[in-house]
Amino acid sequence: MTVMAARLGPTGWARWAWRQLTSMRTALFLLMLLAVAAVPGSIFPQRSIDAGRVANYLVSHPTIGPWLDRLSFFDVFSSPWFSAIYLLLVISLLGCIIPRMRTHVSALRSLPPRAPARLDRLAAYAQIVVDGDVETALAAAETVLKKRRFRVARHDAGSVSAENGYLRESGNLLFHVGLCAIIVGVAVGHLFGWRGDIIVPVGSGFSSTMTSYDTMNPGPLVNTSKLPPFQLTLDALTVTFNQQAGGQLGVPRQFSASITTVDKPGDAPVKQPLDLNAPVGIDGSNVYLLGNGYAPVITVRDASGKVLYQEATPFLPQDNSYRSVGTVKVTSAVPEQLGLSGLFLPTADPRAGAEPVSIFPGPDNPELILAVYRGTLFPGDLPQSVYTLNTSQMSPVAGADGKPLVLRLTPGQRVTLPNGLGSVSFDKVLRWGGLSVRHDPGKQVTFGAAVLTILALLATLLVRRRRLFVRAVELPEDPAEGAASAQADWSGPAGRRTVVRIGGISRTTDPALNALVASICDELTERNRPA
Amino acid sequence: MNPTTLASYSNLALYSAMLVFAFAMLAFTGHLAALRPVTRDELKELAREPALVGGSVSGQEGEAATTDRPASARREASDSSATAAGGLEPSLRARKLASSGIALTWLATALLTGSVVLRGVATSRPPWGNMFEFATAAACAVSIGYSVLAKRNRWEWLGLFVVGPVLLTLGLATTAFYVDDAELMPILRSYWLLIHVTVAILAVASFTLALALGVAYLLVARREGQEHKTASFLDALPSAARLERTVYATNMVGFILWTFTLVAGAIWAQKAWGSYWTWDPKEVWTFVVWCLYAGYMHARATAGWEPRKATYLALIGYAAVIVNFAVVNVFFVGQHSYAGL
Repeated sequence: MTVMAARLGPTGWARWAWRQLTSMRTALFLLMLLAVAAVPGSIFPQRSIDAGRVANYLVSHPTIGPWLDRLSFFDVFSSPWFSAIYLLLVISLLGCIIPRMRTHVSALRSLPPRAPARLDRLAAYAQIVVDGDVETALAAAETVLKKRRFRVARHDAGSVSAENGYLRESGNLLFHVGLCAIIVGVAVGHLFGWRGDIIVPVGSGFSSTMTSYDTMNPGPLVNTSKLPPFQLTLDALTVTFNQQAGGQLGVPRQFSASITTVDKPGDAPVKQPLDLNAPVGIDGSNVYLLGNGYAPVITVRDASGKVLYQEATPFLPQDNSYRSVGTVKVTSAVPEQLGLSGLFLPTADPRAGAEPVSIFPGPDNPELILAVYRGTLFPGDLPQSVYTLNTSQMSPVAGADGKPLVLRLTPGQRVTLPNGLGSVSFDKVLRWGGLSVRHDPGKQVTFGAAVLTILALLATLLVRRRRLFVRAVELPEDPAEGAASAQADWSGPAGRRTVVRIGGISRTTDPALNALVASICDELTERNRPA
Repeated sequence: MNPTTLASYSNLALYSAMLVFAFAMLAFTGHLAALRPVTRDELKELAREPALVGGSVSGQEGEAATTDRPASARREASDSSATAAGGLEPSLRARKLASSGIALTWLATALLTGSVVLRGVATSRPPWGNMFEFATAAACAVSIGYSVLAKRNRWEWLGLFVVGPVLLTLGLATTAFYVDDAELMPILRSYWLLIHVTVAILAVASFTLALALGVAYLLVARREGQEHKTASFLDALPSAARLERTVYATNMVGFILWTFTLVAGAIWAQKAWGSYWTWDPKEVWTFVVWCLYAGYMHARATAGWEPRKATYLALIGYAAVIVNFAVVNVFFVGQHSYAGL
């Protein structure tokens, strides 16, 4: 006998693929794959979190780095493979729940099925004998079941069918719908949301426009010309660190700011606090206080004493003791432009000849250490970071000893540069606050979906779907025979008696089902007792 | 009393708890050793003292009739010894050791709870702001959970599986993770610390209890699959089917709490960092743990998957919980850098 393999046409194959994709086995596999695929995102630095660390990684791993980059290991969560897994998972999930929704809707509309003939074969079973006829017994059973919020049906004169716990399946479906809605919320936030980060020295401010931010990340569908036009001034910033010697020395203790905002040009300014864990909402966006550092006020004068540069210049902290790096770019210096680059130490090690490190993050012994360069600051007019100097077309200025000049300045100090280049003074130290302005129109959707997901999860895990069936048969008139056959302790006056049999099944393992059947029996017996 | 004194009392209570847990562990180990079915000689011994045996084991046997478990080695063994030893009742020695173990666990749990409370008073905040405090609080939650459930479910046999990991956690906490009492970092000062981290602690505690039960279940399941070989304490444990249901229920509680932890963490992140989800390493691993346990829940609910295989998935999930705590906090760069190490 030969076995012919069934031939599948394109439709057949498509149907086969769809069935494979929407099977529980595949969904489970994709879920586990998603968990595994997320792991590299925690091991390798991610561009979306810290592009600087990615750049450092590429420099220190010249062989494997570019390969990892090609395989999107630095952008795991927007990589083709991660996206493919979660998109397939969503499709698989929808393919699974949409047919189930149809089934569930029709189950919600239909009556519980007919009672099987042999109830004693069900998972839970009990029987009792009550006074009265079949109709009285079944009516009582119906009342008891309805009181326990069962949906009840009478398919024939001798039985009652009941079902409850539809919420289990509703919850299950809503849970999965909620997960999809979370993804929708995330997508909306990604497409229509934006974030702008800016470093603001105390006493300064900014107007929210596309170009005023240090970095601006708009979503693909954001109209960047229509950002909310608010203004913000950083009035004060309080930062304190633990002063006690020991393991906790220098750990941050307090970090709060006070700001003045103007919602729209012409509005009255509002003074308000801006704290960690307490963003300030302005015109549909939120302002967060995320970072802080020092901005030494540096003045550069030419030989005649004319001020060429005078600014609170933010330096970026490099470690927990706020050793910070920064630059001063004096574009107006003649005949050549001047560039200063170096370190700010809030608490320089006071010992003579010490390394240029900071030993405490608070400004206890501030020192500015700067190298001086002359030449062209922006070769080729290419954009460059505010915090680094491109010295490819600059040369270090030599000191009296012929070595490259290094300035070491404390607040109030002024140094004259050699060769009539002018002077540099370190006037005072201000702090800067790192502010982040975020707009995410999808977050309400995500939040609502997350709450729905939790509630649905509780419903689907805690509610049990149960079917109960009751059959009643009237006993023959002889009480002795009836009592014996029903094994009941019936001892009332002669009358009509009925055996009530109750059987129950549950969709899942249900240790409490027996107890439920027993408690319904008890209640029926109780009701049957003459008042 | 000044905070430093309170914190030193807290540490004293912690070390005392560890000492008592160590004795509890010894008692539970002895209990398991004494649980194995009695030998012929011991049977004769027991027959002479009939008053010492007897009683009821209904707590463990209530549901045996409804399970689809095959006639297990345990049942055969108990049937053969039923005449003298009165069914499955553990020996007097086993029972004595069990009650010592339970009593010592209660004492240690009380000491540990005292330690956590004192630390909270010393620092005037919820005492779970760094790794040391989190580990201690989670160990405390596990001990309380076990102490409460052990009495009701007759879980003396589980003692070793619970007290062992608790002691290990406390040992690591006091050596590798220890930091002195201190104020919270400014970013952690939020009522969300109370919501997010408390629920995380409860979730981890549930997963840990489920792990202990899961390991016991796997051992019993393997034994039930074998032909009867030598006597083992496993024969005195509840049936595999019954254990498996408990494992599932406990993991289910953990999964619900973990889902809540994840959502509460996202809400706090939105307030603190400006974005509810940034794939910070801690978030990545919280997500990984969630996926693994979600996989377990589905595998368990799907016909065709052996419950044993599903339980292995839960064990992998627990391994991810450990990574999420011990590896992510210490070795990965992220925003959840609160180890204080």
